[in-house]
Amino acid sequence: MLALDLLLQGIVQGAIYALIALGLTLIYGLLRILHVAHAALFTLGGYIGVIVTNETGSLPLALIVAMVSVGLLGIVIYRLAYKPLLDQSPLVALIASIGLFIAFEEVFRLVFGSYGLSFENPPLRTQVNLGGGLLISHSKLLVIGMAIVILSILAWLSTRTRTGIAWKATVTDSQIASSFGINIERVRYLNFFIGSALAAAAGVMVALLTNLVEPTMGAVASYKALAIIVLGGLGSVRGTLVASIAIGIVESFGTVYVGHILDRDALAFAFLVIALMIRPQGLFKAG
Amino acid sequence: MLLSVSDVTVQFGGVTAVADLSLQVDRGELIGIIGPNGAGKTTLMRVISGLVRPTSGSILLNGQDVTGWTIDRRVRSGLALAQQIVKPLATFTLAENVALACGSRRMGSPWQAMTTVDRNAELQRGRELLELVGIAAAADDYPSAVPLGYLKCLELARALALEPELILLDEPLAGLNQAEAAQMADRIASLVTESRSIILIEHNLREVIRICPKLFVQDQGRYLDFGATEEVMANPKVRAAYLGEGAI
Amino acid sequence: MAYEVILLTTMAIMVLFALSLNVITGFCGQVSLGHAAFYGIGAYVGAMLTKAGWPLLIALLPAAGIAGLIGFFVGLMSLRVRHDFLAITTMGIAFLFVGFVRKQEWLGGEIGISGIPAFGFGRIGLLVVALACAGLFAAVTVYLKRSWMGFGFDSIADDEDTARILGIDVPRFKLWAFVIGTAGAGVAGALYAHHVRYIGPDSFGFVESVTVLAMVIIGGIGSVWAVALAAAVLSVLPLWFQFIDDYKLLIYGLLVFAVMRFSPNGIAGALQSFRRRLR
Repeated sequence: MLALDLLLQGIVQGAIYALIALGLTLIYGLLRILHVAHAALFTLGGYIGVIVTNETGSLPLALIVAMVSVGLLGIVIYRLAYKPLLDQSPLVALIASIGLFIAFEEVFRLVFGSYGLSFENPPLRTQVNLGGGLLISHSKLLVIGMAIVILSILAWLSTRTRTGIAWKATVTDSQIASSFGINIERVRYLNFFIGSALAAAAGVMVALLTNLVEPTMGAVASYKALAIIVLGGLGSVRGTLVASIAIGIVESFGTVYVGHILDRDALAFAFLVIALMIRPQGLFKAG
Repeated sequence: MLLSVSDVTVQFGGVTAVADLSLQVDRGELIGIIGPNGAGKTTLMRVISGLVRPTSGSILLNGQDVTGWTIDRRVRSGLALAQQIVKPLATFTLAENVALACGSRRMGSPWQAMTTVDRNAELQRGRELLELVGIAAAADDYPSAVPLGYLKCLELARALALEPELILLDEPLAGLNQAEAAQMADRIASLVTESRSIILIEHNLREVIRICPKLFVQDQGRYLDFGATEEVMANPKVRAAYLGEGAI
Repeated sequence: MAYEVILLTTMAIMVLFALSLNVITGFCGQVSLGHAAFYGIGAYVGAMLTKAGWPLLIALLPAAGIAGLIGFFVGLMSLRVRHDFLAITTMGIAFLFVGFVRKQEWLGGEIGISGIPAFGFGRIGLLVVALACAGLFAAVTVYLKRSWMGFGFDSIADDEDTARILGIDVPRFKLWAFVIGTAGAGVAGALYAHHVRYIGPDSFGFVESVTVLAMVIIGGIGSVWAVALAAAVLSVLPLWFQFIDDYKLLIYGLLVFAVMRFSPNGIAGALQSFRRRLR
């Protein structure tokens, strides 16, 4: 029973990682930028989710507000921060992004306080019995469900609609795409919007699970999501999903069985380093 | 025997790019490798230079088995490669590009590299080689500031700088106009000496036939013919392989 | 007086730390997002040894040696993974180090090591040692850059595949860069441990790795003097901002962002274009 429970934990954690990392992958695939400040958008999503829920009492509304507003902020960041740096070495964008991330964390601390916020009436705390004594809270179910729904919508968009196909082509090979007359700049904006909105959704989900948002909650997301997209093969959407779930499961089992030697984060990275030594290009080829 | 390639096979995934090829090169030879598109010429070149490991077979350089060696080790033992797609070091001037190659055989050991500061001799030699290939005027320019023809010459100068016994040239004439190609071909032919051989992969059959005394022909990864140029070109199998390409 | 001594010691240690990363990232082009791990290894080795009665000056050698040895193994990894993959792998190494130390009782675990003995020749003595180490390391790297090894590093940073075709023994050059750079970080770490006299796993986290990388890049990648200057200024900047305590990290972050946004080639690049404009 413990094993099943851990597996479930791992999948929930993996689903959240997937939501965060997917945006990073989209952005990396198109711009070759390791967008560390992405994690700040995740944190902001969490804050907006909690605040709007507390004000209006509606979690769905909060989710939508968080995703749309953070998505727009993502576009602003691209326009003001990254666009002027595209022809520089990727390192420059990386450091700029780290600077931005530090600044964002501080803004959250100054605006929302250091101690974090919680839901006044934490939604979805009740447990469901999955049979055989395996309990799961509604919020965890929601996380898994959300991840599946959002990813299915994206998969549908990218294979069935004109815009989606253009978008996928651009992420895979922007030079060829532009020779087919696709407006790359629009795709970049779209990527930042969707990627940031997904991060915001993940922020709301984490807030639901832990009932706490704090200025530093993005720190974990910032580096672990980077590890995940690298493990997934940098730019490969499928690889990112597999790597997210894999890291989630490795963490949940690892903390129980080898937690006395390495802490949770180190476990994820031990897995990453070993995996990269065996497959230096990540689990999947980009594309 | 300077180079001896024996029964080399290369497979990528399930695809066989080169099957059971053997090739012997003596000192002082100029050998053209030809074959239609997809013949596996570049793969053979990459196997000889060490960029690709063969699935089976072996490569001997000066009697030494170098099959498992990295390219830089082969280069320090007398091999040089000029690639089809020019790869200048963008942050180095042309003279520095050549100078680095001039010194690299001596600086193979990091300790030697660490204890040597002076690089004037190599820079001087670099300029001489640039002069030899006819682009001395651009010695202090960066690669981004010179035309493609210059970069092709730079590849050649860098290869010479390694003081190689065997030079591999992959499509050195590609992208050049007819006059430039003829000039470059003459230059290549003039580089063969008693102790130095050249293997040339080239699509420009006219120039290859003009300058190479011997040809090696492959088609779809397989051996077709190897021998004196006139005999090879008279071989009906070779003509058949090229039929429809209109290259002759 | 005491305050200035502390400030200068902090500067000297950070300059050494940044210059050590500059060998790996600036010279050889291998991006490391986990350099603080080697700083930490040096700090732990140094602290354990002086607590066992070794004099600091002698303890610096094993601190450099062990950091360099582990750096050698990380260097071996750099032969397998490249570019962004390498950056993330090194970041992983840093988390492994911190995660490992956290769970080791004999290294103080979460609590860390306190009561690290003061340097025998006092605070001024430590400042002199730190300045000497930083100065020596700077001189060595300036020399390295001018030598054939620096020439080889340049070619690897430019394009390692081409460097190989030109006969450069890329793997061995890279390993040397990693060993020299991580050994330097080890010395910086041991000095740091005796400067603050308390270390814990949190002293060597991701933020520290990123901070030192920011110093190298803000200085202007590869340039010894500009990197030293950037490290000196950035290391004490938060202290100067004390009067706006609550906003100091905000300003720091924005400053890092602004330098990259408006002068992507760092201080060295900015000075260069300024000089060009004067002409």
